[in-house]
Amino acid sequence: MTVSRVAGSTLIVLLYGFLLIPLVAVVAASLTAGDFMRLPPEGLSLRWFARFFQRGDLVEGLLLSLQIALVTTLVTGVVALMAALASQSLSRRLAVWFQIGMTLPLLIPELLTAIGLLFFLYKIGLGKTVLGLQIGHIVMAFPYCYVSIAAALRQIDPALDDASGSLGASGWQTFRRVTLPLAMPGLVMGAVFAFITSFDLYTVSLLLKPIGGNTLPLALFDFLTYEFSPTAAAAATMSVLLAFVGVAVIQKLVGLQRAF
Amino acid sequence: MSSVEISALRKRYGEAVALDEVSLTAQQGELVTLLGPSGCGKTTALRCIAGFIAPDGGDILADGVSILATPSSKRDFGVVFQNYALFPHLSVAENVGYGLLFRKCSKDERERRVAEVLDQVQLGGLEHRLPRELSGGQQQRVALARALVIQPRLLLLDEPLANLDARLRDDVRWLIRDVQQASRTTAFYVTHDQAEAMAISDKIAVMKNGRVAQFASPREIYQRPVERYVASFTGEANFLGVQVERELCPGRFRVRAGSAAFDVKGAGPFTPGTKAVLLARPESLAIAGVVAGQLQGRVTKSVFLGAVQHCEVVLPDGASVRLGVPPDRSLPPDGTVTIKLDVERAWLMPEVAA
Amino acid sequence: MQRLPRLALGLPAVLLLLVFLVLPYAEMITMSFRASQPGAMYGLGFTADHYRKVMTEGLYLDALARSLLNAAFITTACLIVSYPIAWHMSRARGRKALLLYACVASPLMIGVLIRNFGWMIVVNVDGPFNRALLAMGVIDKPMRLLFTQGLVALALVHVFTPFMVLPINNALRNINPAVLEASESLGVSRFATFWKVIFPLSFPGMQPGLILVFVLATAAYVTPALLGGQMVSLMPTLVVQTLIGTFDWPLGAALAVMMATAAMVVVILFSLATHRLMERVRA
Repeated sequence: MTVSRVAGSTLIVLLYGFLLIPLVAVVAASLTAGDFMRLPPEGLSLRWFARFFQRGDLVEGLLLSLQIALVTTLVTGVVALMAALASQSLSRRLAVWFQIGMTLPLLIPELLTAIGLLFFLYKIGLGKTVLGLQIGHIVMAFPYCYVSIAAALRQIDPALDDASGSLGASGWQTFRRVTLPLAMPGLVMGAVFAFITSFDLYTVSLLLKPIGGNTLPLALFDFLTYEFSPTAAAAATMSVLLAFVGVAVIQKLVGLQRAF
Repeated sequence: MSSVEISALRKRYGEAVALDEVSLTAQQGELVTLLGPSGCGKTTALRCIAGFIAPDGGDILADGVSILATPSSKRDFGVVFQNYALFPHLSVAENVGYGLLFRKCSKDERERRVAEVLDQVQLGGLEHRLPRELSGGQQQRVALARALVIQPRLLLLDEPLANLDARLRDDVRWLIRDVQQASRTTAFYVTHDQAEAMAISDKIAVMKNGRVAQFASPREIYQRPVERYVASFTGEANFLGVQVERELCPGRFRVRAGSAAFDVKGAGPFTPGTKAVLLARPESLAIAGVVAGQLQGRVTKSVFLGAVQHCEVVLPDGASVRLGVPPDRSLPPDGTVTIKLDVERAWLMPEVAA
Repeated sequence: MQRLPRLALGLPAVLLLLVFLVLPYAEMITMSFRASQPGAMYGLGFTADHYRKVMTEGLYLDALARSLLNAAFITTACLIVSYPIAWHMSRARGRKALLLYACVASPLMIGVLIRNFGWMIVVNVDGPFNRALLAMGVIDKPMRLLFTQGLVALALVHVFTPFMVLPINNALRNINPAVLEASESLGVSRFATFWKVIFPLSFPGMQPGLILVFVLATAAYVTPALLGGQMVSLMPTLVVQTLIGTFDWPLGAALAVMMATAAMVVVILFSLATHRLMERVRA
């Protein structure tokens, strides 16, 4: 009994370790004071982050990624909120189908969506443009945003709408004073998901990238093919940090268990 | 503060009929209760009055003017919801003051009126709490205050006590009745609890399958129900199958149950020779020694409850009746008793509803 | 009353997905029937030649078969890794549960590329993995793991594990604990309880996890491209090479459609095969 229990615990620790090892490796490697990518790091320093910001190609990638992620967040936030509000007036059955439709980009492989968009955007004259890339990111990030917001709206007691109306509030007043404040945690969570999804997107960016423009993941991939230095780890660490900020925000607002 | 007249209200959901020609009136200042089991249409009726759903037919008049075309937000009706529907992100004071935001009302006046009504429902001092920090009874009183503060023309209450425990129920019920009467607000009250309905109402509409089975005062409903359904929904009821012999004078009939004959009141008309049902509430029956009573029976069950003992007595025709016996009264060992019926408190009803 | 204007709020989203998801798919299928033309993305006219080519040439059929087998292997490995984690998670409560959720969900919030790169650091020739093995005396010279199929598989399992853990965890949490107590009170061993009760009842979580991971693994591009060093020819790398390497869009489209169809057929067969089990555990 005890032997099997020890074995079980070891297995569990190993499995969680398996999940976290690459993340720890990236962060640890970026903090090294030494000249090579080595673990454990040889002393601690932030010099590789400084080096990252001296690399024009990586910084340009970072800026483009931030810009696209920001626009993606704003657009998906508004469109997804509207769609989620619309879904509330659907019957239960229809709402389920609507949700499946809205999450299609999540259910089909990114590569296929990217290929379809490559052809389609070319056809309508948006091939290899920032706008085209932006559209691709919006499509890919939309489902995460929609699911979070729709879940938040479902938590709201429908009687609150009636209560507000019976007290004299118009539809817009009810939205602004009741629905929106109550949906806010879901909205923020959706925004966090949308931003992070867009920031990390690779395949769609690869096929749709504008001429001469690279997002951070693309620039990082290129960088890695000819140089294996802690600068890359520093670039990757930014992504990890972003994710941890995101997880913290979500935990603070809604709790992780309800989010995933 | 108005009178309300509902006429021939109809509502269907697909095949299901939720409201079937429902007609009711509430005079100014009256509290009218819609009483019935779940699915009888009482909540649908209330939601039609509130304006949350539109009826398929019929009309609702407030002070003689149809309000069907008026949206819920313009009706000026205060609604108290079964689950309270308090805004979880707003404090008690903000919840109560919510309706005043959409009315011509200065900030000072708003604060004054909120304080006033919170006082009235005994919630002074809790202004800054959030709903989740309140007990169920307190939440219910916030909901009531929120509906009252707009000085509604009509107060609508949907099972307001359903989520409270028994102890609190009485307190909140008294409070509702008090503030309703103090403000002389006309009110519709939905419940499935007959005791609650009896205690609070000026008039009760007993509903069944989307229809109003009877609409009358609590006394009338209890003592002179129009059919078995109403009688059994408004309290403990025994039904004796009887045969009508003849009408003695208007409203009084001689009926025969087995070997016994009674002269009882009833609404009629009853054709002599037909079968009818005699309602005998437990308090109209008494155990009367071996020979003094009119009905033979045998006690099959008895439970001692302190102030009273409840007995179940089986009659020769197999029907059983329930009645109360003084607690110190001993029952014969073989259980054979006779039962005396107080004919003034019995009520004759037709076999099937008219 | 306000049903119509409210529904209209969904219009932008519906348009977004119709125009930029559904139409592109239609375009992909159209593209796969266009003629190829060297020096241009595609030529004039329509043809089914690409499909003929894909179905007859060993290179493509091999890649397709390898991709599907690879995906099946990764899906199975994912299940094996995920089940104990999901089980462990489902039994935790309070702060501990929260921490475990964070462990499982954090990788989801970090890009595939970053996670793959993490593995590169770990298994590098002078990376911690090799040095640990050397120190323990398991090996006497560092192993070369980068650009091997094994590493690609490992990294893919890592990428997809959260997709499997979360739904299984949900399903396990939904099992009424009284059922397990009932089983044990009837004298059934814990082992048998697991196989006869828990495992089947958690299937509603496993089925979507398996389908999702299989589909995603079939079409995964980044990981094989970065960690496989383009050596193993899998469908996704082949498709991307055709599209942005040789610029033969019609052939690339046909390959993509083939891959999608094959994955879909497998998913449908799997769903049909497990339909009865799903119906039973749902009821």
